[in-house]
Amino acid sequence: MTAVRDGDLAKLGLLFERHHGALFDFLTWMTGNRSAAEDLVQDIFVRILKYRATYRDGGSFETWMYRIARNARADYFRTRQALEPLGVEALSRPEPGPNPMRRLEADREQARLKRALYELREDKRELIVLTRFRGMSHQQIAELLGVDAGAIKVRIHRALKELRDIFLTLSDGNPSCDVKRSIRTLQII
Amino acid sequence: MRCEEIHPHLADHLAGTLLPDVSEQVADHLRECPTCAAEVEGLQDTWQMLGTIGPHTADSSAMRSRFAASLDGFQGGLTTHSATRRTSRLNAYGLQFAAAAAAVVIGVAIGRQTAPAPVTTPDSQLTVLRDELREMRQMVTLSLLQQQSASERLKGVSFTNQIDQPDSQVTVALLDTLMHDPNVNVRLATIDALKRLSTRDVVRRGVIDALPRQTSPLVQIALIDFIVEKSGREATDTLRRLSMDDMLDAAVRARARQGLQQIG
Repeated sequence: MTAVRDGDLAKLGLLFERHHGALFDFLTWMTGNRSAAEDLVQDIFVRILKYRATYRDGGSFETWMYRIARNARADYFRTRQALEPLGVEALSRPEPGPNPMRRLEADREQARLKRALYELREDKRELIVLTRFRGMSHQQIAELLGVDAGAIKVRIHRALKELRDIFLTLSDGNPSCDVKRSIRTLQII
Repeated sequence: MRCEEIHPHLADHLAGTLLPDVSEQVADHLRECPTCAAEVEGLQDTWQMLGTIGPHTADSSAMRSRFAASLDGFQGGLTTHSATRRTSRLNAYGLQFAAAAAAVVIGVAIGRQTAPAPVTTPDSQLTVLRDELREMRQMVTLSLLQQQSASERLKGVSFTNQIDQPDSQVTVALLDTLMHDPNVNVRLATIDALKRLSTRDVVRRGVIDALPRQTSPLVQIALIDFIVEKSGREATDTLRRLSMDDMLDAAVRARARQGLQQIG
């Protein structure tokens, strides 16, 4: 990134190769919409170019990039209120593999967990995605969100607990608060 | 440790990042407190199940093309922007300079009015035609590289040899083919096509990045040949890793070792 900041813009291609997949995954979880996530990844790399002068030596590039990603996402939703809010597109249909019954059950559980994750409040979902899917340390998340690492640990614990509660509610077959949304999701699954 | 005291440590406990002494204290408490033990067990279950969820797969090829286009656009914009800034700086030098320039312009205009009309030379027409042909070839190449049929993609790769100076979009498409094309022959042809572009940093780096992702020994050896010849010391780390990777074919490891000796 230091080279990009200093004018070697072609090096951004390397950063794109390294990070576009992870950003896409993060943004798909956060928007529930693949094409929105694709648009946002492009937007983020344009912003990286635009604001490259603000990158500081010694700082974590990843944290800086995710800060840009969070801002881009917030701006995107400000201008597109009507966008599908739930991760309907992101929920894939489980397909049976070897040992079909057990596999099918595991896939169903996984689909339920994904659905629970999408029903979790956005800020809590973000914590779980960053720590579990993106493998960020608590310290990195704390820097990204501008809060103390201790507070992040407590929030992650609460988010997980809430995720588990939603997951168990869905497992019992009780639709949660938004019946219409859940029925639509079930049709997809 | 009391129940409320272990909560701040549970995130670290699940991630396996607890310090050993704290970890022991948490384990002691969990042995004594069935309520906390049940909660942690449930959370662990969820945590592990989360670990089985794979990432959303991006359509990298399409995203790369869009990115290359944005980068080109941005660089083009930068050039225009800096030209505009230069112009405004020049304006600041003063009206007297503008007046002098205006006099020169008027002189030139009068000269043009009296001189015979300029004729487009055959050379300039030829340049325009060449540019158009190059653009067309690039378009055909990009389209062929997207085809389902491996022979069409092979045609696309060989088409790049007919383009004088392929632009970044074609380069990115070739690197993408090298990384992801399922057909070994197409990947081998791509390596040959990329040799012509090996003076570009992005190509040399792309080839080095592609090497660990390949599974075919043929492609691996062709890539090692490429980087030994074109990248030299840039590839030392990659070659060293390959030469020590027991999972690789023995011939590939031997070629990597030989490559290391060649680049010194």
